[in-house]
Amino acid sequence: MRKGRSKTIAKKRSLKKGINRSEKTTIHLLVNGQDHILRIGKRYDEVDPSHTLAHTLRETLGLTGTKIGCDHGACGACTVLMDGKAVLSCMILTVEAEGKEITTIEGLRDRETGQLDPLQQAFIDHTAFQCGFCTPGIIMSAKALLKENASPEEKDVKEALAGNYCRCISHYQILDAVMSVVQMGGKGDGISI
Amino acid sequence: MESPYRFIGKSVPRKDGVAIVTGEAKFIRDIKLPHMLHGKVLRSPHPHANLKRIYTERAKKLDGVKAVLTYKDVPEWKGGMPSHVRILDSKVRFVGDAVALVAGETEEIASEALDLIDVEYELLPAVFDVEEAIKPDAPQLYTQFPGNVLPNECTGFGPNPLKEIVMGDVEEGFKEAEIIAEGSYRYENIPNPLSPELPGAIAFWEGPDQLTIWSSAQNPYWESVLLYLRMGRKTHVRYIGTQCGGSYGTRLMSWQLTLYATLLAKVTNRPVKVCYSRAEHFVAYGLRLGSRINGKVGMKRDGTVTAISGEWIINTGYYSQITQGQLAVGCGEVQLVVRSPNWDLKPKIVCTNRPASGIVRGFGGQELKCAFIPLLSEAMEKAGIDPVDFFKKNYVKPGDGYYWRDGNWWVCRGVDYTKAIEEGAKVFGWKEKWKGWLKPTEIKGSKRIGVGVGLHGNADVGEDVSEAYVRLDPNGSATVYSCLAEHGTGQRTSLCKMVAEVLQIPLENVSMTPSDSLIHPFEIGPFGSRGTYAIGSAIIKAAEEAKRQLLERSAPKLKVTPEQLETEDGWVYVRGRPELRIPWRTGMGVDRTLLGYGRFEPDYTVPNFLMLFVEVEVDTETGKVDLVHVVSATDVGQIIDPLNLKNQLHGSLGSAGVDSAIFEESILDRKSGRLLNINLIDYKWRTFLELPTFQTVTLETPFPTHRFRAIGVGEISTAPGPSAVLMAVSNAIGKRFYDYPLTPDKILKALGKAKGDQT
Amino acid sequence: MKSFEHINAMSINDACNLLRKYKEKARLIAGGTDLLGILKDRILPKAPEVLINIKTIPDLNYIKEDKNGLRIGALSILSDIVKSPIVQERYKVLAEASHEVATTQIRNMATIGGNLCQEVRCWYYRYPHQVGGRILCLRKGSGSCLALSGDNRYHAIFGGKRCFAVCPSDTAVALTALQGEIVIASGEKRKRTIPVEEFFTPLGNVLDTGEMITEVQVPRPPEKAKQIFLKFTLRKPIDFAIVSVASVISLQDGICKEARIVLGAVAPFPLRETKAERFVKGKTITPEIASLAAEEALKDAKPLSMNSYKIEQTKTLIQRALLS
Repeated sequence: MRKGRSKTIAKKRSLKKGINRSEKTTIHLLVNGQDHILRIGKRYDEVDPSHTLAHTLRETLGLTGTKIGCDHGACGACTVLMDGKAVLSCMILTVEAEGKEITTIEGLRDRETGQLDPLQQAFIDHTAFQCGFCTPGIIMSAKALLKENASPEEKDVKEALAGNYCRCISHYQILDAVMSVVQMGGKGDGISI
Repeated sequence: MESPYRFIGKSVPRKDGVAIVTGEAKFIRDIKLPHMLHGKVLRSPHPHANLKRIYTERAKKLDGVKAVLTYKDVPEWKGGMPSHVRILDSKVRFVGDAVALVAGETEEIASEALDLIDVEYELLPAVFDVEEAIKPDAPQLYTQFPGNVLPNECTGFGPNPLKEIVMGDVEEGFKEAEIIAEGSYRYENIPNPLSPELPGAIAFWEGPDQLTIWSSAQNPYWESVLLYLRMGRKTHVRYIGTQCGGSYGTRLMSWQLTLYATLLAKVTNRPVKVCYSRAEHFVAYGLRLGSRINGKVGMKRDGTVTAISGEWIINTGYYSQITQGQLAVGCGEVQLVVRSPNWDLKPKIVCTNRPASGIVRGFGGQELKCAFIPLLSEAMEKAGIDPVDFFKKNYVKPGDGYYWRDGNWWVCRGVDYTKAIEEGAKVFGWKEKWKGWLKPTEIKGSKRIGVGVGLHGNADVGEDVSEAYVRLDPNGSATVYSCLAEHGTGQRTSLCKMVAEVLQIPLENVSMTPSDSLIHPFEIGPFGSRGTYAIGSAIIKAAEEAKRQLLERSAPKLKVTPEQLETEDGWVYVRGRPELRIPWRTGMGVDRTLLGYGRFEPDYTVPNFLMLFVEVEVDTETGKVDLVHVVSATDVGQIIDPLNLKNQLHGSLGSAGVDSAIFEESILDRKSGRLLNINLIDYKWRTFLELPTFQTVTLETPFPTHRFRAIGVGEISTAPGPSAVLMAVSNAIGKRFYDYPLTPDKILKALGKAKGDQT
Repeated sequence: MKSFEHINAMSINDACNLLRKYKEKARLIAGGTDLLGILKDRILPKAPEVLINIKTIPDLNYIKEDKNGLRIGALSILSDIVKSPIVQERYKVLAEASHEVATTQIRNMATIGGNLCQEVRCWYYRYPHQVGGRILCLRKGSGSCLALSGDNRYHAIFGGKRCFAVCPSDTAVALTALQGEIVIASGEKRKRTIPVEEFFTPLGNVLDTGEMITEVQVPRPPEKAKQIFLKFTLRKPIDFAIVSVASVISLQDGICKEARIVLGAVAPFPLRETKAERFVKGKTITPEIASLAAEEALKDAKPLSMNSYKIEQTKTLIQRALLS
């Protein structure tokens, strides 16, 4: 797996009291293994300092699999992996994600073969969704857990998913789906990210 | 039970499964059109006020703002029942009511412009309580509805819709009664189903009278009809359904935001998207109805109900979309569960200055039951009757009758649910756990365990009309034309299964057209659990009709009569002589497709039922109620898809269902009229860490009415829940409760451990 | 969210200088999990024009222990604190409190400094601007406290004066029980240290213009002290406390030698229950003693119109903590 090198195009300016601060004109993200260098600015295709990572992923990079359900960090629909950890992309400023490795739901499928991640397959096999809106966030939360702990118990799965809002109540079949992957011995740990 | 069918009864991967798990499924927010603008709504800070002046100049001048609209700029488009809500009005009636619309190049610009609109309000007194609202000197919301009372007739339900339950002679009935219970019970916490996907729509005018809408309603065809009516019958509306991120009924409340986008698209001549924020979703979409019963029940000691009378006061908020329909269905559903020869139940729909109530899973029935069952329970308690025995005795069985929503008397020809009730009770261990009214099942230190039960029935499984086409292609595949979006039940896949079963072709050879009103025949939509019976029957008929044409065309080529033919896997063969066969392409010709048409006519004679058993644990020292065990028992005739069915039954814990008895509520500040807990932290919803053990009992007693002997059930999984929890908590701590939800303050107050003006 | 200027601070000096430069126009951002919600809902009449990102300051993310005790850098995220073997072993009440915060995703983002600085959860204060306009109140510098005459089910039963919102921080309660201190810097070399419970003021905290939290220090609690954090909420994850209790009790031969009992979410600050502490000291903690201590602790509670139930809950939590 390629490691992201953050190449920030920056010019130095010195503030009074002699602090060197790089005034950034671009932001570098590594999303699903792909490098993106985005300009900071006010145009529609640029990143404004107030843009959240969820906004940038969806609107600037077109990765709409990451959902916005509340935009307040309370529903987990926007969960992505940042440097391997589950975080809420609606509560992260894109300009603060400089150099981070981001994995979204679009990044789980094998890029070459198109094969689904075992978690994705298990969700289909267990019909572990109803309306499906919360599914990408839930899969990403589960993915983060399995990366950290390949053999979690059901209570660990519940804890890892406790911040994900599902209103149809697919919880029971989601737990079955995640535990089935655990029981396959992390097969498919696709944990190569 | 082993399914006798090739596809029906077996779990299959959902056809949209890959799209959902990979994030490729397109919900409304994921769709962008070229040159699309974004619309935002300025909302009222006051619960009741006249708009004296609106200054929009500053907003219009903001760079990137393309339109600003107020009530002065818009046509007389109206919604509501009867039609009474202008799309923008000179008066605001709740905190959050629409005052002005803005279209901007980005959401941020449109939002910024809202702050540049100055409004002068003439403040009016506001009213929030139904019994206050009907007093003579109460503030009046609409001049055409004096006393804030709306008419009871549901205009869509035929010439004589159900408006009340009046039959027999209640005075006589009460004389016969050995027990009388009387009181006021409320289910007025107005929980919000809060679909995960936020409401939204895109509008674009293709021509002066040609409008295209993209939105996540589950019933695009019917929505296109409703918009046509609301827009004054001039505009042809094409309505394209997207993936629907949860409805629970509420997607049918999208007409306002859809028309906001439509208005802005008209003046800008560009596509406009309006997507609500979560806070807007909380206040400007659809809450459950407020429901209050001031009533009286007469009963004999053996549980025979002799009379029911009273007033059902419904708080619809600032307007009624189809509250009259919920009233009618609610009145129908309560009769399914409690047979009584004498009724005098008079509903009254009252509007108040709070956000609107609307269509929610359970459609009036849940709301009525939640207030009524506790009253009925008081009578059962006095009679000392086990509620399971009571329901078993009193619910509608084949041969029994009831008034349904159209005002007609229907006689049940469905199946007897006694076995399902008994099986549910057995699985739950009801006999062992039930210790009598107001008695805990068990005491464990400070914790008290209690059990409760609820029953709900619904004859809307066969409501309204559905039409469908099924097209056969020479390559052995079939296409289903039925206008419904996938809203979580897996129905689009299940309907394909029915067609695959009729045609005996692999499921992957059956596909369904996108949900677009332009290309489909009439379809009112998947709700009321009508997907299996109503929509399914139309589709099955269409498939059978197409198959008939196929066999007819193939017969001469095989030199037999069509009756001698059968089809399987894209071949037509002679029954008993499978070697005599031709592929579809030979039978029908390579330059021909065959189109079957099917139609379903309403049938209110096959109610379904679902009994929900709950076990709660109440901490008498903190007042916390925990739901620990649930059994959901029903009979579905024939399971179509086991995993989809389980999902639907588990759904009782979501969408403002069972938990509206425990912690779900919209908290209204009675001074300002604002809802206070309008975010997903302060509004409580069930998480993965508080899942009760949940068992489902689904019997399969064949229904006579369906090709595959099935009946739908999803709608009613929530409805029996809240009153069951109320019963369980009452039993756990030995106290009666009169309203919801049973938050710790109420529990501790009931136990004498807290005081004060409680919530 | 209104746009703003975003500056990455390169050092403590840098951040403090920027704060002094921009004054009330600037806000620090670390995890952002609280601040971004406030900005998105636009609850403040004047939105910050400058956000100063302190995550770019090196060396503020650490959990270490020496003979004097524990030191946690202000940028340490809660999930690291939860998982830290040092914290789990000797400062258990802090690990428990940190774990009780929100959800896994939030704990992966939120910092200890931010948890202490977060804004109150009062629903009048937090009412979003977009659905009828923000609510101005005393805490925002104009108007009165609406909770006093409104829906105050989650508000203070102790110590409310003009604003009745409660301190929402779970870690503050645990840190107070551990006699923790907050290091406040106004520059690299200019630092002051104050006890956690003194950090909170009726309308905010003691941070002056140009100041920031850089570290949390916790003295080593007595060996084998019994530590516990109990939080009452309607749901296990996500929720802010309705009531919480943190206690650190040292026993010798079954007799209480030292006790720190601190209440959360009942007052605008973590409330140290000295009366209850004094009551249990020197006694064997029996159910009866625990009950009397709880009564003692809540004697002076002044519930508002809708929250007297919190008194009973607080008593329960105190007893359960003492008897655990």
